[in-house]
Amino acid sequence: MKKALAALAVSMALTGTAFAQAKIQVGCTATSDCASAMIAIDEGIFRKHGLEVEMTPIGINSNIPAAILSNSIQIGGPTSTVFLQAVDGGLDLVAIAGATIMSPVSNGNITAFVRNGITIKEPKDFVGKKVGAPGLNAFLHVLFVKWLVEKGVDPKGVNFVEVTFPTMADIIKSGGVDAVLTAEPFVTRMTNAGLGSVGARYAVELARTDPIIFYAASREWAEKNAAAVKKFRDALAESAAIVNNDREKASNSISKFTKQPIELVKATPPNRSEPALKPEQLSWWIEVMSSQKMLQSKLDTSKLVLK
Amino acid sequence: MRANSAKALVLPLAVLVAFEVWARATHLQSDSLAPPSEIVMALFGAFADLSILTATRDTLFSAFAGLAIGTTIGLAFGIAFGISDTLDRLMEVTVEAIRPIPSIALLPIALIALGFGYRMEIVIVAFACVWPVLILSRAAVRSIEPRLMEVARALRLPSAQRVWKIIIPAALPRIFVAFRLSAGIALIVAVTVEIAINPLGLGAGIMLAQQALRPDLMLAYLVWIGVIGYALNVLLVVAQNRLFGRAALSGDGA
Repeated sequence: MKKALAALAVSMALTGTAFAQAKIQVGCTATSDCASAMIAIDEGIFRKHGLEVEMTPIGINSNIPAAILSNSIQIGGPTSTVFLQAVDGGLDLVAIAGATIMSPVSNGNITAFVRNGITIKEPKDFVGKKVGAPGLNAFLHVLFVKWLVEKGVDPKGVNFVEVTFPTMADIIKSGGVDAVLTAEPFVTRMTNAGLGSVGARYAVELARTDPIIFYAASREWAEKNAAAVKKFRDALAESAAIVNNDREKASNSISKFTKQPIELVKATPPNRSEPALKPEQLSWWIEVMSSQKMLQSKLDTSKLVLK
Repeated sequence: MRANSAKALVLPLAVLVAFEVWARATHLQSDSLAPPSEIVMALFGAFADLSILTATRDTLFSAFAGLAIGTTIGLAFGIAFGISDTLDRLMEVTVEAIRPIPSIALLPIALIALGFGYRMEIVIVAFACVWPVLILSRAAVRSIEPRLMEVARALRLPSAQRVWKIIIPAALPRIFVAFRLSAGIALIVAVTVEIAINPLGLGAGIMLAQQALRPDLMLAYLVWIGVIGYALNVLLVVAQNRLFGRAALSGDGA
């Protein structure tokens, strides 16, 4: 009996590592941003290019750099802010391909949603309010602070707290925060439930087209596997077109990976896929994050993206 | 079922029914609550597609492996410290410096050093399980009837045999209580590691269900983890009573 158990344990451990070596693991959070990789798997595009790719769901985006360095995943989909902070902190990561960029569609999905009983007429009305962000110093928070600064409001006057997406509706309802920085499908769900209204469309007003999420790897892995990176890029060029043009296929793949109900996924257009990534596309983020004192060092964009 | 246990069930059942009625009446729309009937359906669904069984295997494998390693280490050091006062004094600062570190605080380091998977989870569970066993077995060894030790000396037992024939049997009921305590901790820590980082097992199931906006499934996982925790404890209590009979009670009271 003991032997059988030991054998079972060993075989489980071995199959675990064997899989990890044979396939490229791509780690992403449960959003539509890695849709190009999801579709490339589901439509057999990676396989056509000679790659075996599997996706690993990651709970929190800021865990992605550590997951890459431990080689649990070879490629990850960090947000621009997570990636730049990781590199700034000394982790040797490199962007290898684009995933999504901000566009009029994705910017329209992003809002500051305000609970009933609070009125926001102008940006300075946020001063003194308790605002929930899905992650402090993460994508939406950085954008919102940038918007406040552009509107001449001191962000220090706003009380930011962390509120994850799935708990937003309940916390807004209970009055735990005055507003949340959120995105679709949560905006529509909260509006329909009568929990409040849209207080600001800060992403629309910023009107940026910079990267949201891109695919990144450790520099060591990317340089050793240059051929695989090229195939990965070629496959994404094909699958990104499907994400942008075929809502049906995109929604199916996103629903399959995120396990979100298909009706919910279909209700929101996926963020715009953009497989190409140029170093200069990161400079706006570096500038914004530096001005928010999130970066210590001076980052060189040409080293951040693999040629 | 005995009348007493039936009575005890009335309150929780009434609460569940009331919650169900309230959820239906108010057309509850929430991403973190769901009516009990939907939770039950989600639990059946998760059993039907085997996802919850795979997750259970992953969590229990990590929890038990970590428990086994942690208990072994804790027991070895606990007995050593219990026997030798000098060793205990020498190691006290080290132990007291490492012991208060919450095992979960090791997660970021463990992730970079070990990566996702069983290994990281087992290491963290083992770390958490070492301390209760170490402290309680040290105390158990110290409180062994002095006459037993005199017997060991009179028989001139070599130290290995003294540990094996006198100390472990005499301290075993209390050591088992420590093991029971650690088993509970092992499950908690394993699930927490999965919720925080590791993409496998029941904790990851909870996170994935939450992010998939399936509160029914998320709560189904929660209920199932409760069932497993309860079953584990019942199993260990039965084992304790079977193995040690009345001796176990004296251990529990200590």
